[in-house]
Order: sequence, then C-alpha cells, then structure tokens
Amino acid sequence: MCGIAGIMYKGNGTGAGTGQALIDMLDGCQHRGPDSTGFALYGQPKDGELRLRFFVGEGDEAQMAVQRIEQTLKNQSAHPIDAQRVGNTYRTTVEFDGDLQKFAYALEHAATVISIGTSLDIIKDVGTAHEVDDTYDVHQITGTHGLGHVRLATESDVKPEAAHPFWATGFADVAIVHNGQITNYWKMRRRLEQRDFEFHTENDSELIAVYLADKMAQGIALKDALKTSIDDLDGTFSFLVSTKDEIGYAKDRLAVKPMIMYETDDLVAIASEEVSLNRLFPGQALNTKEPPPGTYNTWSRSI
Amino acid sequence: MVTINLTEVPVRQANEQIRQYGAAGEDVELINPDARHHLGVGLTDPINVKIRGSAGYFCAGLSDSADFYVENNAGWGLGDNMYAGSVVVGGNAGAIAGVAIRGANIVVHGNMGSRAGQVMKAGTLCCAGNANFMAGYMMYGGRIIILGESGERVGEDMAGGEIFVGGKVTTLGSDATLTDLESAEIDDLMAFLERYKIAFKGSFQKVVNAGKKLRYTTSETQMRSLPFFGFSGKSDYWNPKVQEDVYIKSQIGRYRIRGYGGARALPHLSDLAFRRDLSKAGTDPDVLSKVEMATNIGALNGANPLKLSMPVMVAPMSYGALSRSTKQAIGMASTLSGIAENTGEGGMSDAQRGAAKQLIFQCLGGRLGWNIHDMKRADGLEIYISQGAKPGFGGQLMAKKVTKELAEIRGIPEGIDLRSPSRHPDILGADDLVIKVEELREATGYKLPVSVKLGAGRVRDDIKIAVKDGFDFVELDGMQGSTGAGGAEIMEYVGTPTLSAIIEAVNALQEIGRRDDIELILMGGLRDGIDAVKSLCLGADAVAFGTSTIIAGGCIACMQCHVGTCVTGIATQDPEHEKRYKPEVESKNIHRFLESVRWQIAAVTHALGYSDVKQLCRDDLVALTKEAAAITGLPYEPEHRQPSRFMRVRVA
Repeated sequence: MCGIAGIMYKGNGTGAGTGQALIDMLDGCQHRGPDSTGFALYGQPKDGELRLRFFVGEGDEAQMAVQRIEQTLKNQSAHPIDAQRVGNTYRTTVEFDGDLQKFAYALEHAATVISIGTSLDIIKDVGTAHEVDDTYDVHQITGTHGLGHVRLATESDVKPEAAHPFWATGFADVAIVHNGQITNYWKMRRRLEQRDFEFHTENDSELIAVYLADKMAQGIALKDALKTSIDDLDGTFSFLVSTKDEIGYAKDRLAVKPMIMYETDDLVAIASEEVSLNRLFPGQALNTKEPPPGTYNTWSRSI
Repeated sequence: MVTINLTEVPVRQANEQIRQYGAAGEDVELINPDARHHLGVGLTDPINVKIRGSAGYFCAGLSDSADFYVENNAGWGLGDNMYAGSVVVGGNAGAIAGVAIRGANIVVHGNMGSRAGQVMKAGTLCCAGNANFMAGYMMYGGRIIILGESGERVGEDMAGGEIFVGGKVTTLGSDATLTDLESAEIDDLMAFLERYKIAFKGSFQKVVNAGKKLRYTTSETQMRSLPFFGFSGKSDYWNPKVQEDVYIKSQIGRYRIRGYGGARALPHLSDLAFRRDLSKAGTDPDVLSKVEMATNIGALNGANPLKLSMPVMVAPMSYGALSRSTKQAIGMASTLSGIAENTGEGGMSDAQRGAAKQLIFQCLGGRLGWNIHDMKRADGLEIYISQGAKPGFGGQLMAKKVTKELAEIRGIPEGIDLRSPSRHPDILGADDLVIKVEELREATGYKLPVSVKLGAGRVRDDIKIAVKDGFDFVELDGMQGSTGAGGAEIMEYVGTPTLSAIIEAVNALQEIGRRDDIELILMGGLRDGIDAVKSLCLGADAVAFGTSTIIAGGCIACMQCHVGTCVTGIATQDPEHEKRYKPEVESKNIHRFLESVRWQIAAVTHALGYSDVKQLCRDDLVALTKEAAAITGLPYEPEHRQPSRFMRVRVA
C-alpha cells in the first residue's frame, strides 16, 4: 500500500543530490501513500565508525531513552563521536569494532533502532516527503544512492516505527522499500528465528531485508539472493534493496505491483510510477522500461 | 489546435478545458505531460488530443469517440473502458493496456505491460512490440494483435474474442488454445496494420478460448422444494436440508450453487433490544411529522449528495440476477419513497434509469455494463470490492440468464456461463484504488459521490483504506446478505456477521480519528425498520434493504435464483416467466413495505424520546445474548428478552 523510489548515480557521483532527488520522486507519488515518508541514504563510511539512529519519542520519554542508549553503548564498548536529537529520533556516530548483530540486539532493548551501518542512515517519520524534509533536512544529504518510500497505513498504525524503509535488523547497511504483501511471512520468519535472528516489527518488509542480508552474510551475491527471493517469498511484491555499494530490485511473478525504471550512462532510477521519474527530468520524454514479472537486477557503485 | 501546458494547468482543470474544447470541436495539444495521470479522462467528443511526452495512468480512460496520440509512454490502464475512438502510443504502455475497452482501437508501438486487454469486450488492442504476462486475461470479446512475443499465459481464462500473435507464443494460458486463421482474417489484420502504418511481414498464430473450463455441464436438479424454514435446518442433525444437499451433490459431483442468503444462525441485530420500554411506540398517529428523517449522503467531499427522505436505500442487486421488470419496479418504489436505488452489477437499463429518481451506478471487476454515458446519467458511483454473502468471491450468472439484451448491455457473448471476476483489473491495493477513485471523479467532473461496497471480511483494515482513499461513503455488507448465485458453503461459512461489521467499522474509524470523514451505510440481512433503527444506534448513517425489497415484491424464497426459471418472474430473464411480474403492482407493494419501514423508524425514534434519527445512539441498546454483548460491548441484559422474542417470531 505504497509508493517506492530508488536512485543510483553511476560514476564518481559523490556530490549528487540524492536526498533532493528522492524528495522529488516521492512527492510525485505521494498520492500512493500520504501517511508517512522515509529515506535510506548512504554517506561516506569511515573505518571503525558506525552510524546509528533510534526512535526516542519526545520530552521526558526521549531523555530516558537517550540515557538508556548511552548506557548500552558504554556497556558494549562503543565510543560516541557525535550525537544529535532530530525530530523524534536520536542520531549518533560511534567507534565500534565488535559483533554488530549482538550489538544491534542489545541496543534494541534500549530503544527502537531505525538503522545501523557504516554508511546507511534511515530517516522516516509520519507526514509527506516535504514535511519529513522540513524536520530532517533530507535535501542536504548527498551520496551515490538511496531509497525512498511513501506509505498508506492499512494493517498497522500510522506511527514513525511503521514507516519504511526498513533496516535488515542486525546487518549493517542493508535497507529495503517494498510495495506489496508477503503471504508466507510467518513461515519465513520462523525459519529465520530458528537460527536466532531477531525481528523487531511484524512488518513483512523487515523480513525481506533480513532474508537478503542473511544470504549476503553467507557470501551470496545480492543479485543471487534476489533471484532466490522470488522463489522463496509468496505474495505480491515489488521491492528495492540497497547496501552500501549496491541497489537492486525484485518483482513477483504475478506482476501485480507496479515498477518502472529509467537508466542512462549517468544514473538508474526506479519508481512505482513514471510520474516520479519525470520529476527528475521535467518536460522530457523518458525511455523507460517496466521490468517483467519474476525479474530482478542490481547496480553497483563504480567507485 | 489549442495548447495546454500541464506545468501551468492542473490536470483537473485541463480535463475540464479538454471537454469544453471537445464540445466546440477543437483539437487539443498537451505539453509537459510528465506522465501525469488521468489525461483526457471522460472525453466524449470526436476531437484529436496530442500528448507531447508520456502519459500516466488511465490516459484516455472512460472516453468515447476521441482520437488520442501519445508521443512517448503511457502508464497503467491505457484507454480504460474506451468505446469508439483511438489511442496511438509511440513508446511503451504499462500494465492492463486496453482494459475493458468496448470498441476503441488502441495501438502501442513499443511493448505492453502485463494483463493487456483484461476483461475487454470489443475493439482492437494492437502492440507492435512484445506483450507480457497474461495478455487477454479474462477477455470477453474483441481482438488483440501482438506482433512480437505473446508473453507467458496468453489468453488466460478468456471467455471470448481472439488474440493474434505475430511472434512467439511463449506459453498459452489456462483454457486457451491455438486455432487456424482464415485468409479473410489475415486480410483484416493487414488492413488494420496498414491503417496505423505498422510494417509486418511475418505470419500469425491465433489464440482463442478452448471452452474446456468455465462451463457447468451437469446442471443441478432440485430434489424437492424446501421452504426456507426447512432449509434453515434448525431441527435434527440429518434434517431435510442436509439430505437434499448430499443427494444433489451425489448427482452433480461438485459444490452447489444457490441463491438467497445464509441460513445458519449467526449473531444479528435481533440479539439486541432497546433499553427503554417501547410499548407505547406507534400509538401516535402523527408520529411521521414528529421525527426528522431526511438524510443527505455523499456530500463530504463536495459532490452533489443523494437526498434520502429517510436513512434508507435499496441495496445493490443486478439487472441480470433480477429481471428487467423487477429492477424497474424497485426503481419506481424507490422514487415513490424518496430513497436511492442501485444498479448492482451488469449495467443500467433505460427502464431502471427512467424509474428511479436517484440511482447509484456500480462498477465491478468485470466492468460488465460499465461505461461513461451511464456514469454521466447516474446520481452516484460505486466501486464494488466484495459483498457480504460471498466476500472475496466473483459472481456467477448461468447461461440461461445471459440473454441477447443482457449480453448487449454487458458487452459479452450471448449465452455463456458468465463468471464475473472477483478482482478489479486496476485495483490491486489501496494505492491503486486512490488513482481509480480519482479517475471516476475526473470523468464526471467531481459532481457525483463515489462510494465503495465492502463485503464484511477484514472490516477494520478495509474501512481505514476506504476513508484514506477518499470515498464519500461505504456500503458495508454483512454476512447475512443475500446473492443471486453463490457457492452454498461460502454463503454459510465465509464472512463477518453484519452486527460485528458495523461495530468494527465504527471502532476502526474512531481509532484513527476519522469517523466524521466518511458515511456508513449498513446492509446484509436487515429486515425491517427495527433493524434499521438498531443499525443507526450502532453508528450507521443509513441502511440498505435488498432481500426485503424482493420479498415485498413477491419473492417466495425458494432459493433457486441462479436457475433462471423463477416462478415469480423476479430472478429470471425468460420472457415467459417475466410476464408474471407486474412492475406497476409490485412497485406499490415494495413502496408500502418501505413506508412501513419509515413508520417503524419514526415510531421507535419517537418512543426513545428523540425528534431526529441523528440523535439515536448506542446507549439506547442492550444485548440479549452474551455473544452479542461481547461483539458490541453493550451491557448484557437478557431481561429485555421478552419483546425481542415477540419480534423474532413475527418476523421469521
């Protein structure tokens, strides 16, 4: 029940306005999801540093959450370099070189983790693309690639935690945006839980992210993980996935959920509707392509 | 030629301008379209419209007679439901190009997305490139020409029409088969291609319906006529109903289909009673003048509302399931009583439109009878998602009822065992539904209220989607609703009771703080004014009666609606049977029933101490059973049982 968008600038595109591009694309398809908007953006990674973002709420509740986070970071031997409260989130950069999965699960007990990565930062909240930008200055964020999502809440409430993108809980830098419904959610989740993975929502998008991240952690290429996802996941879906170096898509065999892409030598942009792609190139007739059912693909940063 | 720049003029305004230029016979050019949705929707004049770039969803949708040219790509639902006219697309078209067309020529120079030509009835959809998954899915007529590859499962469950494939037939769909072409057909195809300047040198393969599926070969023979009392089977375990069921299945070897509603005992409005003593109700002969009952429905988003003289409508029932005379009689009765009638599936007959002063036009997945001209002469539009008697399932209309006139209105071959699809081609989620609702509003200039009919299933989620997608009102249909034909087990065991449905709906809307943003019409086995008042107390803005109006008009509840030989002339298309039905007599019977409803609503509302039906509230009710108390959250007060038992005996 939503609209998705993703973009990757090819070549040495470190200065590209990814944040602004995603705002424009999501504004173009905001009719598909007026309840909440989110972004997965990737900055320059630094050795030994992790970016963390949490939901902490507001007022006293937020203060207590931040205290818990700080204590947990201390317990986990993570050393904060900087920290900031924005909107109802708490963002911090820490020095950490331990087991990321254990670290993430421990932090979940302190506050709701939005994302953890060397490069990834997920920003999501209730409201439109422009409203979220007003709070979080998404338009100032550059980078080579990113994902975006607008959501119409159906089965869950309108709250920031239910917004997309979803981070693959426990796996650095993997994010997902998804339009559709995974019908074998519980079956797949139980399989992963038997291997001690933890889930922090009942959202099927989190499942896809963890599913893919788990495959990649086993050394399987993202592209191959997308291929098996089409067989393993039941339901109707069009989703985009990103890591710190790649973006990719997969589309179900029933072709129920829309997806359209535009690729040039400079960039690849994918969205639910062409109207989003045209926001990047107003007044131009774009040579777009609708991916056939049951297909997948990936693109890598060339730097 | 007039130029409209879409970076300066919003689509809604641009469409109004296009229609004005259309009426004046002036051609239009749209610049900077940037894949915006709904371009040219609802245009019914023969002008040329050039779109300089890409168009979004539903380009040229719900139009008749205009010729469109799209320079680049087109989004989902290209030429949706087009009658005459044409669309030529220079680039690619998205999914469901040519969906439900009824005569247009649609030509795509590039490739087409999935399910091209779904539920199309007539006309030509031509693609110079490759088609994709399930081209021609559930098509009823017309032809699809694919010069490239067909894509997987071409012709899936097509009921009629032809698909010509110039490239490789990737795989055939269910119940599709290859057949030979006649030379005249080839000439015809080549003439079409030449007309649109498409070069093609290869040969064609032809895909048609194999006729192996979607047919009922053994019809259901009735053992003996069971009255509803016997049928509802409250007596012994192996009652006559169960015996009949087993016997008939032993003959036909499949599940049974029947008409009417579920017969199983379920929690219902009769499990509630009024808290106050109503023994004086109805003693005031002047009560009608003491209670305000006039109710407007559908004005929340600025459309012209339905003006009901009481909070009552007629529930959607199709011309098809019911005879033309029956729909006419119901229409007449609705006018006499000052309420609204509903076309149900299958289109609008002139007789019905003439008879009903206020008429809601229903849009279903098969788009049977759906068209721009009848939309324009309707008083409200309604997207049917499902119905209470068989939520989530499609409909069946047996061949016997698919007469020439009916087939014409619906745009389908005469005498087929008609399946109406359970899903809409272009509504696959709440996100697509937003765009569909907007298309209907664009096509009718935002004047008509747009409603959604929801069979009670996952009410809590569905109702939230309805309000978020901007519907003006919801017709919420509980499990006790009836149908002209449905699987017997489905009617008994699938769905959510009407009582639970209204509670869930009201709670869900309150949960997201949007109760005032949408109006609720409750239906599904409502029998009289007492049920109506209870529904209003629980939070409905109005109610709708289906089965009751049919019974008032002479139905004998034999449950053989699907057979087509209805002895009362109601559920039949056979002229010999229909002759028995006298609209001028039955309309008065239905009208008198509706007036009894009015009287009951007024009398009970007055006896509860109110002067307006809008003052009714849940505090006026108590629950007579623990189950109803659990469902509604009303206090369990079985001591109120006495009047209710009386009522139950009287009504049943």
